[in-house]
Amino acid sequence: MTATLTPPDAGAPGAPEPAPRRLALRLPTWQVALRWTLALAGAFAAFSLVLAIKGADPLATYQGMWESTFQRRRSLEEIVIQMTPLILGALAVAVPARAGLTNVGGEGQIIMGGVAACGTFLLLGDRLGPGLVLLLMLVAAGAAGALWAGLAALMRLLAGVNEAISTLLLNFVALDVLLFLIYQPWRENPVGQPTTEELADAVKLPVVSGTRINTGIVIALVAVVVVGYLMSRTRWGFRISVAGGNGEAARRAGLKVWLLVLSALMVGGALAGLAGMIQFAGVEYKLRPGFGAQLGYTAFLACWLARHRPGPIVVAAFVFASLSVAADSLQLDAGLPAASVNVLTALILVAVLGFTASKKKVSA
Amino acid sequence: MSLVVDVLAGGVAGGTSIMYAALGETVSERSGVINLGVEGAMLVGALTAYAVGVESGSPWTGALAGAVAGGAMGLLHALLVVYRSASQMAVGLSLLFLALGLTSLFGASYVGQAVVGFDTWEVPGLSDIPVVGEVLFRHDPLLYLSYVLVPLTWAVLFRTRLGLLVRTAGERADSLVVHGYDVRLVRTGAVVAGGVLAGLGGAHLSTAYANAWFENMVSGRGFIAVALVIFAVWSPWRVLGGAYLFGCAIALGPALQARGYGINQFLLDAVPFVLTLVVLTILGRRTLSSAPAELKRVFENAPSPG
Repeated sequence: MTATLTPPDAGAPGAPEPAPRRLALRLPTWQVALRWTLALAGAFAAFSLVLAIKGADPLATYQGMWESTFQRRRSLEEIVIQMTPLILGALAVAVPARAGLTNVGGEGQIIMGGVAACGTFLLLGDRLGPGLVLLLMLVAAGAAGALWAGLAALMRLLAGVNEAISTLLLNFVALDVLLFLIYQPWRENPVGQPTTEELADAVKLPVVSGTRINTGIVIALVAVVVVGYLMSRTRWGFRISVAGGNGEAARRAGLKVWLLVLSALMVGGALAGLAGMIQFAGVEYKLRPGFGAQLGYTAFLACWLARHRPGPIVVAAFVFASLSVAADSLQLDAGLPAASVNVLTALILVAVLGFTASKKKVSA
Repeated sequence: MSLVVDVLAGGVAGGTSIMYAALGETVSERSGVINLGVEGAMLVGALTAYAVGVESGSPWTGALAGAVAGGAMGLLHALLVVYRSASQMAVGLSLLFLALGLTSLFGASYVGQAVVGFDTWEVPGLSDIPVVGEVLFRHDPLLYLSYVLVPLTWAVLFRTRLGLLVRTAGERADSLVVHGYDVRLVRTGAVVAGGVLAGLGGAHLSTAYANAWFENMVSGRGFIAVALVIFAVWSPWRVLGGAYLFGCAIALGPALQARGYGINQFLLDAVPFVLTLVVLTILGRRTLSSAPAELKRVFENAPSPG
């Protein structure tokens, strides 16, 4: 985005950074489609090469991945389960991005959401009735995520610390908080795998009847609609985009930029916190050392794949969840480590990020 | 007393891989490109160095291969962000995933294999100095190389024409254009150099520090390096100090536990990250104002949605 050459005539020295002047020309639809096709084909071709080097037959591998991912009911359900936290995690990137902020902290915000949900359960048990406890878990998780992101917002507002850096660092702090809790105060069993007590059945997220899919997907889809509405139809959505586009102009127009920065990041954090709650109360039921690992980074990339738009985020989350489910087939059928699907994920991203810009950028 | 020496010596040993990566990131960021994929370049460097070390029986060949592999990761980053104008943050993270996948795919067969790693080589004379000798001069040769690289990086950046080109690419790219230089080429060179150093950092981790390869062994050191560069205000000398500080924080936990102090490891693990956050908050605007101008653009012009 900003690594482009600065045009030679841009800006007098000392003047506030002028955005590089660019003419944005929309490419015709067929060209965009062609670029996407070529980029994806390139990614799969490159992954085929990697597979071939490892002695696996690419075509057979793809066929196996396809069949085990999309032709089994169980896998399809698994995709929906896995795409839920990705949707929320990606929205958590999209909202701050609208305000010109980079939230790389989904990882930590998801963990803190899970921790808050677990803490709520450990504190209350299922005494208050499942409905109320679930609601309190949701609220606590959202608040925890919002506070964790709010820390980064405060650091930016008070000390000018870039939020991309602070949210990234807070991920590691959150991970250490999680490990501290499950290795000591919240540990259920002093021997064996360190985990917390399993969530009582009554307060697990209910499943959609007849499937294994938890109702978190409903929350996620509602969030997509609400966030879409907030960003495109409300005053707040408009204001954060003004603050994101040109903070100085927003300030001169009388907008409270600090409040917009704080609220955009905190809304993002709250969404990631919800993802953590759903991962805890709908999927894992207990905190363990790898809780939510890589969900935040994957969601960040899903958001980029969707170019920060709520609708396409659902599609991007579906793609990443499918890839993750396909990883199991890679391990079982082709005998390759599950993590190797990361190669395909990265190749797709690199191809899309590098070669499908929907606008032609012309340095003027 | 010996606790202090242990922690300091452990800090130097453990901080070295971070220092290599952070030096590389300094060069890259000085040219105006942030690379969140340092973590990935370190991983690829660590595995390549280990694998080549196992196959060739020479840790030096391994380290060289690790450096080349890290450079290749840097080149990939540069091609995408410099020539294709893709988002620096997103590409960096994508390349981390690429590295996680590739090293898991090609590294599985090296888990548990024995490597001829770098041996400790006590510097004659110097290693006998009390405290200082133990802390600084009873390590492996790849670590000693880093002692040379810090002043070298500083000298190249601030005392040569090449360094001037790199810094100008990061401060006022347009004036390079005016003088007929190719900004993209300069940036690519800087990012590749950054990758080479990150690869060396990875090599130090697998063939000198841990003498082992396991999946995701870099575990956040690359991200610490990115933070460290800001902590160090883009200065190679401060990178040196910062890296050892981080190393000591990491070394403190095991050293205390070895002496029977019951300390929760994870609280200590959080110390370097909290420390960085606190220092960034205190230094605050001062750090930001000394950031390379082109880098500030990367930070401030966040992704334009849509």
